[in-house]
Amino acid sequence: MQYVRQTAQAIITRMYKQYMRQMPAVPIEVLPYVRGIQLVLSSYEGYTKGKRREADRLIRDEIKRAGTRARNHISNIHDTAFKTDRLSIAKIAKLATTQIDCLIEDVDKSVTGMNHAFFSGSRSAKVSDLKNLIKHDHDVIEMVTKAINIANSAEHAFSSSESDEDITNLIQQCQQMITSCQGFFNSRNKILGGLRQKAK
Amino acid sequence: MSNRYKWRDNPNILARLINANNLNTWKAQEVVLKPNEACAFIVDGRIGDILTEKVVSNIAGGFNRFIGEMMGVTAKDRRLLFAMTGPADISIPFSSNLPNGTKVNGFANIRVQLRSEDLPKLLNMFANSAPILDRKRLAEVLHNELMMRVITPSLAECSDEAMLRSSAFQDKFEMRTEVELRPTLSTLGFTILKAFITSNQTDNEKIAQLQTELAAATNTEGAHAEALMERIAIREAATLRRIECEVNIAKAEAAGKVTVELQSELKELRKQEAQWEAELKRDEGRANLRMKESSHKTEQAMALFEQVQAKKKERIEQQMEHQNQRMDKQNELQMKMMEMAANNNALTPEVMQEFLRQQTAQKAVDGPGGEFEPSADSSKEPTCQSCSKPIMAGWKACPHCGIAL
Repeated sequence: MQYVRQTAQAIITRMYKQYMRQMPAVPIEVLPYVRGIQLVLSSYEGYTKGKRREADRLIRDEIKRAGTRARNHISNIHDTAFKTDRLSIAKIAKLATTQIDCLIEDVDKSVTGMNHAFFSGSRSAKVSDLKNLIKHDHDVIEMVTKAINIANSAEHAFSSSESDEDITNLIQQCQQMITSCQGFFNSRNKILGGLRQKAK
Repeated sequence: MSNRYKWRDNPNILARLINANNLNTWKAQEVVLKPNEACAFIVDGRIGDILTEKVVSNIAGGFNRFIGEMMGVTAKDRRLLFAMTGPADISIPFSSNLPNGTKVNGFANIRVQLRSEDLPKLLNMFANSAPILDRKRLAEVLHNELMMRVITPSLAECSDEAMLRSSAFQDKFEMRTEVELRPTLSTLGFTILKAFITSNQTDNEKIAQLQTELAAATNTEGAHAEALMERIAIREAATLRRIECEVNIAKAEAAGKVTVELQSELKELRKQEAQWEAELKRDEGRANLRMKESSHKTEQAMALFEQVQAKKKERIEQQMEHQNQRMDKQNELQMKMMEMAANNNALTPEVMQEFLRQQTAQKAVDGPGGEFEPSADSSKEPTCQSCSKPIMAGWKACPHCGIAL
């Protein structure tokens, strides 16, 4: 009985792999986005066949890394502000770091996308989905890069003895960018999670 | 079929360093790394890949590796560093004093996270300690530093219990923890996510609580008593009202009986009254009838009286006319006599005086104004016996009182 079940599973997996082979390479219209991502991640090749999870892992690692960079800047502001008794800035910085932690946690524990069973109700990713995913990844990385730049500017402003209001504004801008990035990133779960039903 | 290797058999374990050389078996072993788990490979003293969300097969064993080791083509030293990458709460007990001397006991809770890229930093932890890191061990590592650099300074700024419970204190504690413990924790690969303090009740708070409880108990008792009194008052009022109502009912019943009796008496009285009224009406009718009869007689008498008066007036007028005629004749005669005397120049003052004297005497004979002079016995004319008013002879009834004469 066990051998029968294993044989059936092997047949289903084989059929599924044949189905997956029909997934194309990187479409031409998303090539600019792929090139843009490759500026940051040289090993990124889009969601080509057989490299989907690796690409996903690369993107997620990059977002986490960028988030950590922004967090480090904000943490420096936080520490210095606390030690110099500028508690209002320290509180704002703490809120921003908490938001970045949430983004990192979301990215770390996000959906990868699975090879669902052939007869399951879930639909596999189509070419249009993958195109959207590549564009989405590009936009997320762009946003998180902006957040790093803003955090860097905030730290620079803090060390340049600029007014508390300017520093606070920059930190809050960074937090806003991180929040947008978080929401934007979460929308990719719809694509990778296979939540949509198979078209009938 | 391969064996599943479990690196963690206790939820308190956060990380574990495993010497893969000790896992040599003939059978292959695999590890399923879940999303909150990561594994760093340290091969021949170098940090290798950090894996997560993956099935690592042939992790430490298998026939191929056995052969490879026999041939000396595999790594000489293989270590696996497993860790949980999810947030972990560390509770560190503390005991300190506030500036006012109040003793404060409790726990400092720190939420830390080990991120997969920081996993190799855990080697600093395992350099001089057991290869297992659990929450208790991490709390021990952090205890002294936390006490000296975070808790004691934080409590020193706390003037009283109210400030200890304030949000500002918690915020400041969290910020201080992050500032002071970040170097240490980042050395070990941990990231601080959250920190807060949980302190037990202080002695002052216990006293305040006791006072509040006693006051509340007193107030409760007072409220009960008030409610009871109010209830009794309501019952009393209800009872009094009921009694009053019963009395009123009894009064009404008694009054009803009296009313019935009075009503019967009233009926009798009304009956009597009606009888009297009927008799009165009858008498009035009779009187009216009698009055009508008497008025009829009076009218007849008045008519007769008027006839008599009219005849009397007529007779007086005839007498007056007759007298006037006679006076005119006498005046005419006297005028003729005077004219004749004047014609004969015999009209002297003595003649005039004699003329006036005769004329006065003539008037005295005729009476004053020629009116009817009553006779001397006119004062003895007949009067009505009832009203004593004068009546004429021949009247059948008195014109004043209507009595038959």
